[in-house]
Amino acid sequence: MMLSDTYTIFWREMKRYRKSRSGVLIRLIQPAIWIIVIGNTFASTKPLIQSVGFSGSYIEFMAPGVIMLTAIFTSIFGGVNTLWDRRYGFMNKALTSPISRSSIALGKMLAISLISAMQSSLILGIALALGVSITNLLMVIPIMLIVIAFSLGFSGISVVVAATSKSQETFWGVINFLGMPLFMLSPALFPLELLPNWLAFVAKLNPVTYSVLLIREMMSGKIQAFSVALDIAVICGFVVVMVALASYVFTREVNKPF
Amino acid sequence: MVAIYNPEIACSLLNAVETQSLSKIYPNRLKAVDEISIKIENGEIFGFLGPNGAGKSTTIMILTTLLKPTSGKAFVAGFDVVTQAKNVRHNIGYVQQDSTVDEYLTGRENLELQAKLNHIPKDIMEKRIGDILGIVELADRQDEPAVTYSGGMRKRLDIAGGLLHRPKVLFLDEPTLGLDIQTRYKIWDYIKKIHDEFGMSIFLTTHYMEEADKLCDNISIIDHGRIKVTGSPKNLKSSLGNEVVLFEIDSEIKLDKLVFEIRKILTVKEISTDGLAVTVFTTSGDQLIPQIFQHASNLGVKIETISLTKPTLDDVFLSYTGRELREDNGKYDRKKERERIRKIRA
Repeated sequence: MMLSDTYTIFWREMKRYRKSRSGVLIRLIQPAIWIIVIGNTFASTKPLIQSVGFSGSYIEFMAPGVIMLTAIFTSIFGGVNTLWDRRYGFMNKALTSPISRSSIALGKMLAISLISAMQSSLILGIALALGVSITNLLMVIPIMLIVIAFSLGFSGISVVVAATSKSQETFWGVINFLGMPLFMLSPALFPLELLPNWLAFVAKLNPVTYSVLLIREMMSGKIQAFSVALDIAVICGFVVVMVALASYVFTREVNKPF
Repeated sequence: MVAIYNPEIACSLLNAVETQSLSKIYPNRLKAVDEISIKIENGEIFGFLGPNGAGKSTTIMILTTLLKPTSGKAFVAGFDVVTQAKNVRHNIGYVQQDSTVDEYLTGRENLELQAKLNHIPKDIMEKRIGDILGIVELADRQDEPAVTYSGGMRKRLDIAGGLLHRPKVLFLDEPTLGLDIQTRYKIWDYIKKIHDEFGMSIFLTTHYMEEADKLCDNISIIDHGRIKVTGSPKNLKSSLGNEVVLFEIDSEIKLDKLVFEIRKILTVKEISTDGLAVTVFTTSGDQLIPQIFQHASNLGVKIETISLTKPTLDDVFLSYTGRELREDNGKYDRKKERERIRKIRA
């Protein structure tokens, strides 16, 4: 029952997404600008990048970072419709039906992570079109799986913030406060090895770091079993914690008056 | 096995809805619902009437398991709303005050979603949806996105959604609020039609007295979180007297004296004044009119107009809730504000 209930909410979210597509292309503009502008602005850092063992150009270095940028923001913004649902009564409709509260949260998170992966795959496409090389095109599949898993965890943050916020203003305030630092405090744009120690330390506490490193390894084809295993373990741990936290917080919050 | 007879459970099974001293106090200490005890029999259409901020929405939210009561008990379809919330949810349909249709989805997709939320088996889903679309006359527009629907069509779609799983108790929160008069009549027809067809109990909140009068077997009037009176519309109206005499006099000077005299007449149930206009509720209007003239001429008061009518539910409502405007009285502002916020949520 739990699974089919989760699927019901997922189905509804995907239907809504498919029918409100106008935003999809607009949301691609920003990451595309990142690749084109930042990618070329810092092109001359190539020797620095190569000094820590990365063999490609700067654009190739930062492309995984921009894929993650897309994933971070698509998923962390995704929970905002929880607020709309509470405002416009869909939430009450779902809450007075026999489906469980946590399957509402989970269905939303799964939909967000799939949407996030679709957006990120378009960015990957743009990066490839701009000449970023990928050693093995089949790597796209595991890369997308990583994005889906990561986004599932991040959508948990979004659902937690949306469930506890009483207004759009609070939601956007908190989300903007969280989103940018999480992106910046990672090796998305610059290698960890070249960061000051304290910054590198903080970055290592950030799940974004492990996703960026993993995708970068997969794109460049320089895969080391140990670091891959570590990255996957961290991401999986993050996802499990966020899914549990999000369904707990969501279930608790929807029982209070909005 | 020893069967333990529990009168509380036994009587709650007979009733579609039953509350026992139900109270809800919000964290800001506002007592929105105050010791409410109601019984709604199976198959009954029950009207819950009250001014804005009276506690209607809070009560409906407790009965639909959206809010937990502070004290007291509530049973819906025989299940406790707190300890057996899941069973309650299986047995209720809830049509909220504001439309909840997903605008991007078509009418049919909206109902598919509703069917899935309510665990309607796949094999009967299509037929159920087709049937209900026929009843609310939306079959020809079912494949258009709901964003193209008018307010009345959305309401019909909402009502259809609430009925899809054939609930034992259907909650209708202000079903005709903000609709034009033609649509309102149409919605009343649908409500009667579905009630005849499916025989479920209906819990209806409204502040249109006409609506309650047309649809309800019984009503309760609630104000400041308390039940003021319960009964059938007919009995409530006749409790005020069977007839109303309305008259207007020419000057205010002897108004009080005249009212004093009329109040002493045995057939007079209640009397109220508004400027120079006087409203008298009575059990026998044709006898009262000559008496009024008698007293007026004794006092030298000239009666400008006089008429005899039947009391309406409006009169009943006003006699229990008073005439003052809720918005104008600062005392009610906080309550009103909370009500507004709750409505936004609902």
